[in-house]
Amino acid sequence: MLVSALNIVINGLLLGGLYALVAMGLNLQYGVARVLNIAHGEFIMLGAFITWAMYTKFGINPLLSIVIVGPIVFIIGFIIQRTLFTSLRTSAPSQPAFEGSSMLASFGLLFIIQNVALIIWGGDMRAYSYYNFGINLGGAVFAANRLIALIFAVVIGIAFYIFLVRTRIGKAIRAAAEDPTTAGIMGVNINLVLALCFGLGAVMAGLAGVFLSMCFPIYPVMGLEYLIITLIVVVLGGLGSIPGSFIGGFILGLIGSAVSSWQPSLALAAYYFIFMLLLIIRPKGILGK
Amino acid sequence: MLDINHLDTFYGKAQALWNISLSVDKGEIVALVGSNGAGKTTLLNTICGLLHPASGSISFLGERIDGLTPHAIVELGISHVPEGGRVFTSMTVRENLEMGAYTYHAWKRKDETIKQVYQVFPVLKERERQLARTLSGGEQQMLAVGRGLMSRPKLCLFDEPSYGLSPILVAEVFRVIKSLREQGITILLVEQNVRQTLEVADRACVLENGRVEVEGACDRLLTSDYVRKAYLGL
Repeated sequence: MLVSALNIVINGLLLGGLYALVAMGLNLQYGVARVLNIAHGEFIMLGAFITWAMYTKFGINPLLSIVIVGPIVFIIGFIIQRTLFTSLRTSAPSQPAFEGSSMLASFGLLFIIQNVALIIWGGDMRAYSYYNFGINLGGAVFAANRLIALIFAVVIGIAFYIFLVRTRIGKAIRAAAEDPTTAGIMGVNINLVLALCFGLGAVMAGLAGVFLSMCFPIYPVMGLEYLIITLIVVVLGGLGSIPGSFIGGFILGLIGSAVSSWQPSLALAAYYFIFMLLLIIRPKGILGK
Repeated sequence: MLDINHLDTFYGKAQALWNISLSVDKGEIVALVGSNGAGKTTLLNTICGLLHPASGSISFLGERIDGLTPHAIVELGISHVPEGGRVFTSMTVRENLEMGAYTYHAWKRKDETIKQVYQVFPVLKERERQLARTLSGGEQQMLAVGRGLMSRPKLCLFDEPSYGLSPILVAEVFRVIKSLREQGITILLVEQNVRQTLEVADRACVLENGRVEVEGACDRLLTSDYVRKAYLGL
C-alpha cells in the first residue's frame, strides 16, 4: 500500500515536471504575446524528433540535443512572432480580435508543422533507449531517464523564474505582460520582447520534447494530445501566472498518476473533468489574478 | 527644444488634432489646458510615439521624431508620465522605478537615480518592496512621476499628474514640478487644474476641439478675459 502510494507520487512528479515545463512555455506565449498557440505541441514534437534523429543517425547524446534543439525552436518561434503574429497584431482592430485571429493562425501552423514532419519522418511511432534502466526508491521503481527529465525540467523552471525576477529583460517581460503600451513608453521594444517570449515559449516546449523522447514513444501527430493537457495545466495554474503553471504541472501530473494507477484509460478523462470543474468553480486558476 | 509644426492626428477615421503648432524651449514649463476631449492627451501620445501624425512634424533637439517608435523616443530623452499613472501593479515599487530606467544609458545609473527619486518622494523608499497595487492612489501617482524621472529625461511629458489627488498632494506635485525645472528638466504639463497650472508654468496653450485656441505667457493668460471666463470661472 505504502509502496504503491510512493509509486503514484514519484510517477506523478516525473510526469508533472514535463507538464510544468510545457505549460510555462504556453503561458509565456499567451500571457505576454497574447497568442493562444495551438501549435505549441508541435514544438514538443519537433524537439522530440530532432533528438531522436540526432541520436539514431549520428549517435548524439540526447542530453546534448538540448543545445541543438533550443536554438532551432527559438529561431522558429522568434521568426513566427516577428512575421505572422506581429502583422496580425498591427492589423487587428482590437485585442480580442487579435486573440481570435492569432489562435486561428496558430491552428494553421499546427497543420503546416505536422505535415512537414510527416513528410520528413513518416507517420510511424519512434522510440530509442537511453538511460532506460530501473531505479528503485524505497520500493517504487521507475526508469532513470524519467528522473533526468524531472531534474532538468525543475532546473529550467527555476532558472527561468529567476531570469524573470532578476534580470532587466525579465522585468521587461513582466511589465509587457501587464501593460505593453506603458512598457513601450519606458523604452521597451515591445515587438522584440514579444518575439523573445514566443521564442522562449517554443524553447520550453522543444526541450520538453527532448526529455519526452527519452521516456515515451514519439510520433508526428503527438502534439495535439500534449497541447490539450498543457491547456488544462495553464488554466489550472492561472492564465498569465508562470509559477502557477509550474505548480499546476505537478498537480496535474500527480492526479494523472493516481488515476492511471487505478484505471490507466481514465487519466485523460480525469483531466477533462478537472478542467470543467475548474472552469465552474475557479476559472482564474490557482494563482491567477 | 521641442518643435511641433502643423500637426494633424487621427484616431482611426476621426481627426483628433487639427493643425497644432507649438514649441517648448529648454528649461521652460509649458502647460496644455483645455476641457475633456480637447486633444491634450492625444497630443502627448503623438509626441511620445504612441500615435503617429497624419501630417505635420515633430522635432526634438533638431531631430525629426514623428514616425519613431516610443522606445526610440525615450532613448532621445523624452519621458512620458501617462494619464492615471499606469504603474505596473504586479511589480514592486523598486521594480517600477527600475522599469523607468530601462533605456541602455539610464540602466547603468539606475541605483544612483533611484536614490535621487527617493529623496524627492521619501514614501516610495518606505514602500520599496511592496507591490505597486498595494499603494494608495496618491502614492501610485508619485510612483508614476518618480518612474518618469528614472530615464534621466531632458523633457518630461506629464499627463494630469494631480488627477484624483487630495489638495495637499496636488500642492506636493506642483512643488515637485517646480523643483524639476530647477534641475534643468523641461516640462510639458497637461492639467485640468487651470489656476495652479498657470501659476507654475511659464507659458500655456489652450486646446479646444483639437485646435490651439489661445497660446501665450501665463501671466498674460491669467488676466485674459477668455481664459478667466472659460477656465477660471470668473
